[in-house]
Amino acid sequence: MTALLSVRGVGKRFGGLTALADVSFDVEPGELVGLMGANGAGKTTLFSLIAGNARPSSGDIRYDGQSILGLRADQVCRLGIGRTYQIVKPFPALSVLDNVRTAALFGKAQARTAGEADALVRPVLDELGLAGVADQPAANLTLSAQKRLEIARAVATGARLVLLDEVMAGLTPTEVAAMLATLRRLRAERGLTLLVIEHVMRALMDLCGRIVVLHHGQLLAEGTPAEIGAHPQVLAAYFGTPG
Amino acid sequence: MNASRRAWTLGGLAGAAALLALPAFGNDYVVGVGLTVLMWIALTQSWCVLSKMTGYVSLGHVVFYGLGAYLVVVTWQQVPLAFAVLGAGLLAAAFAALVGLPVLRVRGPYFVILSFGVSELVKFSIMAAESASGTASRILFGAPDLSVIYYAMAALALAATLLLGWVSRSRFGHGLRSLRENEEAAETLGVPIVRLKLLAFVLSAVIPGMVGGVMATRSTYFVVGQVFDPMVSITVIAMAIIGGGDDAKGPLLGVVFLALLSELLWARAPLLYMVILGAILIVFVLVLPNGLAGLAARGRTAARPPDARAAP
Amino acid sequence: MPWVDVLLSGQLLFAALVTGSLYALVALGLNLVYGTMRMLNVAHGDLVMLGAYAAYWAFTLAGISPLVAAPVIAVIGGAVGYGLYRGLFRRLLGGAQVDAGRVEANSLLLFFGLSIILQNVAALAFTPNNRAYQYLDEVVHLGNVSMTGNRIAALAIAGGTCIGVAAFLSRSVAGLAMRAVIERREAAYIVGVDVDRVQWSSFALGFGCAGLAGVLLSMLEQFSPFSGFPFTVAGFIVIILGGLGNLLAGLAAALLLGAIETYGVALTSANLRSVLLYAVFVAALVLFPNGLLARLKGRR
Repeated sequence: MTALLSVRGVGKRFGGLTALADVSFDVEPGELVGLMGANGAGKTTLFSLIAGNARPSSGDIRYDGQSILGLRADQVCRLGIGRTYQIVKPFPALSVLDNVRTAALFGKAQARTAGEADALVRPVLDELGLAGVADQPAANLTLSAQKRLEIARAVATGARLVLLDEVMAGLTPTEVAAMLATLRRLRAERGLTLLVIEHVMRALMDLCGRIVVLHHGQLLAEGTPAEIGAHPQVLAAYFGTPG
Repeated sequence: MNASRRAWTLGGLAGAAALLALPAFGNDYVVGVGLTVLMWIALTQSWCVLSKMTGYVSLGHVVFYGLGAYLVVVTWQQVPLAFAVLGAGLLAAAFAALVGLPVLRVRGPYFVILSFGVSELVKFSIMAAESASGTASRILFGAPDLSVIYYAMAALALAATLLLGWVSRSRFGHGLRSLRENEEAAETLGVPIVRLKLLAFVLSAVIPGMVGGVMATRSTYFVVGQVFDPMVSITVIAMAIIGGGDDAKGPLLGVVFLALLSELLWARAPLLYMVILGAILIVFVLVLPNGLAGLAARGRTAARPPDARAAP
Repeated sequence: MPWVDVLLSGQLLFAALVTGSLYALVALGLNLVYGTMRMLNVAHGDLVMLGAYAAYWAFTLAGISPLVAAPVIAVIGGAVGYGLYRGLFRRLLGGAQVDAGRVEANSLLLFFGLSIILQNVAALAFTPNNRAYQYLDEVVHLGNVSMTGNRIAALAIAGGTCIGVAAFLSRSVAGLAMRAVIERREAAYIVGVDVDRVQWSSFALGFGCAGLAGVLLSMLEQFSPFSGFPFTVAGFIVIILGGLGNLLAGLAAALLLGAIETYGVALTSANLRSVLLYAVFVAALVLFPNGLLARLKGRR
């Protein structure tokens, strides 16, 4: 079975700084993969490279078997990759509904009219608890709601692969549990594949079937949550102690 | 909501009827005023197609007008006027297509001053070229009848309003608004930002080009500097700001407001008019960023700010 | 004149230096004001124009030499800057940084409105006609370069001021504080800089430079209420090419611009002066699409 996403030897340099070096891993269709690492490990950079917001300095990225190197972000989106931003980027003056309509109109779904878009948008808003604020300008939303808006937009594009960047940050334990349930439901109902960056360790271990660990821009380890939790190098990187 | 739409429709129809009837009933002066109003409507609505929708505020809108006027003047009586005017629109669009890509890479306030710079560059270049070839000014004979010019301009004003209305309600317009709000996020959601920006830019150029071509027929004595006057660009912005709103209706308010003001002051005290124009810009930017349309909407729906209304 | 002779001409070199030093002074003021306000002050050139008129009236009405009037007018300019800061900008600047991009584009229109007002009030008050006066225009010869006293004075004053301010900014603690605020205001707060004081000082200094440049301009050329704008354009070119807060690069960029104008006109014709100015302006903005922002990562 071809991996849905295939990252091969990807590196990214910003001038003298190496943000990523020789990162390789696969994501199979339907998987829930976690991306872990300390701040500055290169996780968000990797997302930007996958989503087409930036270009790798080396290596290849393949989606559904074909290379997406050099494609623009909007082209990558139309192929079926959606992403959220760690620092939320809503369309402030547009309503929540209009925010998500953009995704349905221009993403992979390619809805032709607002009406067609709404058929896709309304269910997503309901899923993410945004139906009540659909007519509010996005700028008026709480941060937590704006994070859910990010997810709503990414999902409403009709993407098959969704890159989630720290969507649990700042949530209370109750909200984290609710978010986990929502993500699982979205994935089941829409056949999504999720690649998730998260610092809330318990959520990551709970949610994901497999975890990829980055450290200083390099792949440190890869495995199930249990394996990662016992991995000597991961523990050394995080706690500074061997074993 | 319905009351306001009725008011707008009635007001719009009344205004349109009055404008269309003008050449039949009014003297040349009144028709001239009507012509000016129609001209500003055409210019401002087309400006909004780019600047209101994408947030790329252009301070160089007059460049399209000037190019159109120049083409008509240069081909004066060598080409049928209708073709020249159409050609003027095409020339402006071609120019926009040519400079659009590099120019639209620049954002925010830098785009504003860049657009101004491009307009001035074109102006001074043409002036230098004319001066080098020994042409200081041109005298034009055989202008068409005032009512012909008037109805041509009315058609352009209508076209501009329809264009803005269509863009405002279309999927294309939704994409433009999205990139206005956050370009990177829009691109990530699949909006082809470069293509849409460029298309908006080119669309916004066509009608001003033709407007310039039509207005050129009015002057018997043509001087390059006048048709590239930055004050035209500034006036368009002022009218759009005064009118406010995020659709095709707001700018009409601004045009009427400023056109009336300028009629009162321009002939008698042009410098004073400029001072007031500057003051208006300041007041509206600081105090009424959503213009008169925003003010009206705020009065109607006190609970919700105007831009909370979901775009149709 | 064969182009080799043009390039080697000491006369033109002197002219380029004079023009460049004036642009450097204007850009310096703009740097300080923009660096503090983060809003493109397109009315800056009009302040230069007002300085020119002040010197003109001082000379023609009271016989005061522009060299004597210069520091006075600079100080008055500074006071105006201080007043504007206290009265208007402190409120605007202290407030929330909501939607910085849109505010900046809108504030540019605000300054445009201000510029229109300044130019036309001046035209109403002083008439739109060109003004000029003769001062220190006896010719001095150095080798085969003929210079007039007023041009030498302008070069000396503009150059000296630029170097002096640059030294102040790079050597003194107060200057360091100023540079800190220009580069990252929020961080400057945290390290204990009295940001408010730095801001009004930058403002005052920036306005003072503009006024001074105006005095020098009045000595050299005829001017009208509408002469300020090309200096705004030149100021922006210099900042875009040299980078915000980077005074040495700004100085170099200003001299370069002066050279392009002077040699360009000499090689082609006087008609092309504006074409050259705006061509460089457009090119600078297109080639550096992030303008000043490239140097201010993380500001947004």
